[in-house]
Amino acid sequence: MDASLDHGHHTASQASALNVRPENPRAAVRQYVGETLAALVEQVCIPDGEGKPKITIKRRHTTAISSYRINISTGALESDNAETEVTYIWPGKDAYEAWRFSITLRVLTAIAEAFDSGVVVSKRDIYYSDPAAFESQQVVDTLVDDLAYTIGVSRFDLNVEAAAKGLVTGFYQVTTTTGERIDARLLTNDCLIPRVQDISRLDISDVDWVLILEKEAVFRRLTRSNFHIRARAGMGLIVTVTLTSSFKPDMRVLTTQQGKGYPDLGTRSFVRKIYDSIPSSRSHNLPPIYALVDSDPDGIAIMSTYKYGSMAHTRENSSLVIPSLRWLGLRTTDVVEDGEEALNGDDLMPLTPRDRKKIVAMLSRNPVLAVDGLEPEWRVELQRMMMLNVKAETEIRYGRDGGLEGWIDREMGRRASI
Amino acid sequence: MSKQYLSYGSADNTHPTDIFSLAVTDKQILSASGSNGLQVHSTTDPDFPLVQTLEAHKVGCHHVVTDERGSRAVSVGFGGEVLIWTCQDGAWSKTKGVTFTDVWAIALSADGQYLAGTTQNGHIKVWDLGAHEEEIRDHETKGSFGTCIDLSPDGRLIASGHENGSVYIFSTETGRMPFSLSGLVKPVRTIAFSPGGKFLAAAGDSRVIVLYDTSSGEQVASLTGHSAWILSLSWSSTGEYLLSGSFDGKVKVWSIDTRSCVATHSETEKAIWNVKWLPKVGKSEGFATAGASRSISFYREATGG
Repeated sequence: MDASLDHGHHTASQASALNVRPENPRAAVRQYVGETLAALVEQVCIPDGEGKPKITIKRRHTTAISSYRINISTGALESDNAETEVTYIWPGKDAYEAWRFSITLRVLTAIAEAFDSGVVVSKRDIYYSDPAAFESQQVVDTLVDDLAYTIGVSRFDLNVEAAAKGLVTGFYQVTTTTGERIDARLLTNDCLIPRVQDISRLDISDVDWVLILEKEAVFRRLTRSNFHIRARAGMGLIVTVTLTSSFKPDMRVLTTQQGKGYPDLGTRSFVRKIYDSIPSSRSHNLPPIYALVDSDPDGIAIMSTYKYGSMAHTRENSSLVIPSLRWLGLRTTDVVEDGEEALNGDDLMPLTPRDRKKIVAMLSRNPVLAVDGLEPEWRVELQRMMMLNVKAETEIRYGRDGGLEGWIDREMGRRASI
Repeated sequence: MSKQYLSYGSADNTHPTDIFSLAVTDKQILSASGSNGLQVHSTTDPDFPLVQTLEAHKVGCHHVVTDERGSRAVSVGFGGEVLIWTCQDGAWSKTKGVTFTDVWAIALSADGQYLAGTTQNGHIKVWDLGAHEEEIRDHETKGSFGTCIDLSPDGRLIASGHENGSVYIFSTETGRMPFSLSGLVKPVRTIAFSPGGKFLAAAGDSRVIVLYDTSSGEQVASLTGHSAWILSLSWSSTGEYLLSGSFDGKVKVWSIDTRSCVATHSETEKAIWNVKWLPKVGKSEGFATAGASRSISFYREATGG
């Protein structure tokens, strides 16, 4: 049997000026989803099973090595690749086609729901809505990308995010909406953060401090040393975003923000859940929420994203902000003040031209960094970075007095006593 | 022999954020900070009153310089914008805003006509402010960030300091580079010609002040004593003393004759971004310091018995 006839019919074509992004991507999504679902309903309504519900999607040829170029008018990275059109008909001629039809429909409806309610879902959310049906995360990822390609929009236009990437370790307990209890206090390993929608109760009554980390590597180190139960400040909760991914990054949506510890909506929702759980858990000595980020423009931008929200997705920010977030570090000036003896040759790195541009853009655009903004200390720290032209990574503390753990103990102690 | 300088006043918390640069005229001191602009304080009044605020740099200002007569000033903001100011009867007004791509540190010629500047990619440029800011010189170095620059008082030499420790001297007439000076390995953060142009002082992360003879390019002295990065240098009007400020808040006065430190001030632990000698009043010399303390502090030589 010719494998290419496995399901539906194929039309291979070389798309040259492929996929011109529609002027109004949201309208294009609405139209595609609306028309596709309407056609399905129409077919289903044909009596006596005569109807033929079908979904047609375009897929990019993943085998061809693509060449990339910049579209001069949009400044966007584009590529040439062959595309294939695939049609899945229900019930199809075999189990495979029936499965393809059903999972494509599931992804389509998940997108329709997210789109209608204005909520951003993650690929991981879609996968975990029915892991058995989807079989793997990769299947979902590919389908989401194919649907975006079919409509001619980006994945973001579909309100779908890359897989959630939050990690948490700490002294907390979760009761899920299905009644399941997760007692993380007894676990020594970290876990992916639970979906906030699945949490009916988050118990952090034993937590004395919360620490948000930019770097997964730092998170791993602190988890290995059981810092969340050994810290001088008491029992803690440590959150970060993971950069490890079981699948290849999607070139089309690879932005400068990826791979740098910027939180996704899932992670931000969870941290907000922690924040919301604080007042009810204690009457006094509320656990502080700290951020430990690199001393560079991305570090400040990541902290700003947790505290004030993302500049890209402003819509959800109001429900996700962490107003009480405190800046634990890292400050370049502290690192320099440690003195020359503590500095190794490569501890401090010069800012790149991109770093300097990013700082200027942040100072110009982010209202919390304005001269009369909410974060004058962030503003001046960014300016000091520019003045000294240096940046530093959190890992710089590993080899210093008391190591990273000792330093965090001291900083938390110092800040708690203020 | 040590000398005594007395603190005789300050403009406290005058800026809401770090003061990065100072410039002095006969009667005034201009300060640039990370807020949105410049402040002008009178130095003739013992209370150092604020006489003018120039709100012009939205994302903050890191360098301000004046000419010898105090009639022109130039400031550079973090956003890269370069503003040219004119002073009439003690009041400053903006005459022009220009963009010189990637310019960082600047120096103004004594007559105010020529502006020299470093760029982030290590170029040293000169613009003629009398001729529509035309770029009249562009010296390429090895590409290391140009952190600081100075013009010799006679306008014949430009010196630049770089992140990789390089120090260069250029002739403004020929455009040639007679010297690439050795001695500093770590980032150079401040550089200054002596009033007679005989010496060039440079300092930075190596915590040493190196003196060069500008006619030979030879290193003639190194002044040690700071224990943190040196961020600023300034020569007294006679060239007898050199003033330095460092990241740990220390301010030192050095005798060029004896090559030794004659006074140390440690009123603050916060970074001193800039130090400047003030014009001599009678026999007494004084200076101003500013930085992360957000105040401008004034010091005067103790005179008499």
